[in-house]
Amino acid sequence: MKCHDARRYWDLYHDSEGDADLHFQLNEHLDNCVECAEWFHKQSRLESLVKERLTANAGEGATAVDWSRILNGAGVTPVRRARSWKMFGSLLTALAAGILLMIGLFGGFSLDGSPNLAHLSAEVHQHVSAGSLRLEFESESDIDVDRYLVNRVPFPVRCPPRKDSGFAVRGAGMCQLSNQSAAYVVGSVDHQPVSIFVLPKESLNEFPELRLILQREPMTACREGNSEMVLSVFDKNLILVIGNIDRTKLTRVLKSYGTYPHSA
Amino acid sequence: MNPADHTKAERFVAHLEPLQRQLSVYCARALNQRDESEDVLQSAVANAFRDFDKYSEGTNFKAWMYRYVTLEILNRNRASSRLAVPSGSLEPAHEPALHIDSFRLETLLDAPEIVLDHCDEVVAICVRQLTELERKILLLRAVGDFKYREIAEILDVPIGTVMGLLSRAGNQLRNGLLDYAHENGLLRKGDTA
Repeated sequence: MKCHDARRYWDLYHDSEGDADLHFQLNEHLDNCVECAEWFHKQSRLESLVKERLTANAGEGATAVDWSRILNGAGVTPVRRARSWKMFGSLLTALAAGILLMIGLFGGFSLDGSPNLAHLSAEVHQHVSAGSLRLEFESESDIDVDRYLVNRVPFPVRCPPRKDSGFAVRGAGMCQLSNQSAAYVVGSVDHQPVSIFVLPKESLNEFPELRLILQREPMTACREGNSEMVLSVFDKNLILVIGNIDRTKLTRVLKSYGTYPHSA
Repeated sequence: MNPADHTKAERFVAHLEPLQRQLSVYCARALNQRDESEDVLQSAVANAFRDFDKYSEGTNFKAWMYRYVTLEILNRNRASSRLAVPSGSLEPAHEPALHIDSFRLETLLDAPEIVLDHCDEVVAICVRQLTELERKILLLRAVGDFKYREIAEILDVPIGTVMGLLSRAGNQLRNGLLDYAHENGLLRKGDTA
C-alpha cells in the first residue's frame, strides 16, 4: 500500500471501520512509514479534540436539561436507588480510601513473601468494577483523563488510543500497590470493565518474582480469581491490563498502549 | 403506577441513566432550536417508555433509544423549519467530499489545541451549518460513539451514505475551523495560505 492510498482510508482506520484486511494492510504500512504513522496520529488527535468539544460543551441548552422533570413528564418514575447512591457518595469515598489503605497494607504476597502485584491490582480492579471504590476522576474523555493524570503522577500515563484498543475510558485514580505509587485508568472493552494500571518501571524492584518472569517473557499473562490480566514493560512504565474478559482483548489494549508515543 | 409499571420504570431508568448526558448533548447539538431539548427528550422518553415492552433485553438499548430521540428531533426540526438552517434533509447522499486546503490543514494538525481552545462556538456553528442528515450522522458518531452500521440502522439510510456524509461533514467542520483560525491569526505565522 502506498502513502496516498493509506491516507485515503485514515478515517476508516480511526473509526475502526472497514474490513480486517484493510486494517492489516494499513497497520503494515504504518509499521514501515514513519511519516504516515505521524500523520495518522495527528489526524486522530485533531479528531479527538473536535469530538471532545462536541461532546463536552453543547452550550446551555444541554446543561439546562432536567432529567427528573423529563422522566416525570414522560410518566416514568425515577428510581430511588440512584439517589441513595448519591447520598452515600461521600461515605463511599471514605470507604474507598479505607479499601486502598487495606490493600496497600495487607494486600497479596507471594509464597516467597514478596508482594504480589497481580493480586493487589486485581483487588483494586474488583472494587472499582463493583462500585465499592469510587473513582477519583470520572470522565468519558480520553483527553480529560490524560490531563487529570499528567500533573498527579511523576511518570507518563495516558489512555490507550481508542481506535486500536476498543477501550472506552470511564475515569482514573491513583493508588498504592504495596509501597509503589500507581495510576489506574478504568473503562470498558465491549461493555466489560477493564482497568489499566501504570507504574514506573523501577517499581519492579518491589516485585522481584514478577521482574524475573518479565525478563523471561516480556509480555506475560496470568489469572487472578475471576480476572485475566496481561502485563509488560513499555518505555518507562510497567503496564497491567485487567478485566474479566478474553485475554486476547486485554492484550490488544496492552499492545495499543505500548504503541502510544510517550513524548507526544 | 401499579407494581408492574413500577418495575418497568425501574428497568427503563436503569438503562437510560448512563445515556442521559450524551442524549442531552446530542439533542442540543442536533436541534435547530436548542431550547427545545427538554421537550424533545420528554417526548422521546415517553414514546420509548410506552414501547419498552417491545425492547428485547440484552440487545442494543442505546441504539434503540437514539432512534426515538432522532425521530423526535426530525419532527421538531421540520416543525420549526421557519428558523432552520437551509437543510438538504435526506437528499445529498452523493455529493462529493468538500475540498480542504491541505497546506492550512497541516498547520492545524501541528497544533490543534491552539485553535480548538478558542473555537467552542465555532464548532457549534459549523455543526449547525451542516445539513440535517450530515449533522445527525456526525453527532451519532461523535457523541453516540456508534459504528457506521448502527448509524445507518438508526437513520434508515445506506451505510455508504453514512460514510460519504460523515467524511463530508468532517471536512466542512475542519474548513470552518481553518477559516476561523486564519481570520483570527491562530495559525502559525508564515503558514497562512
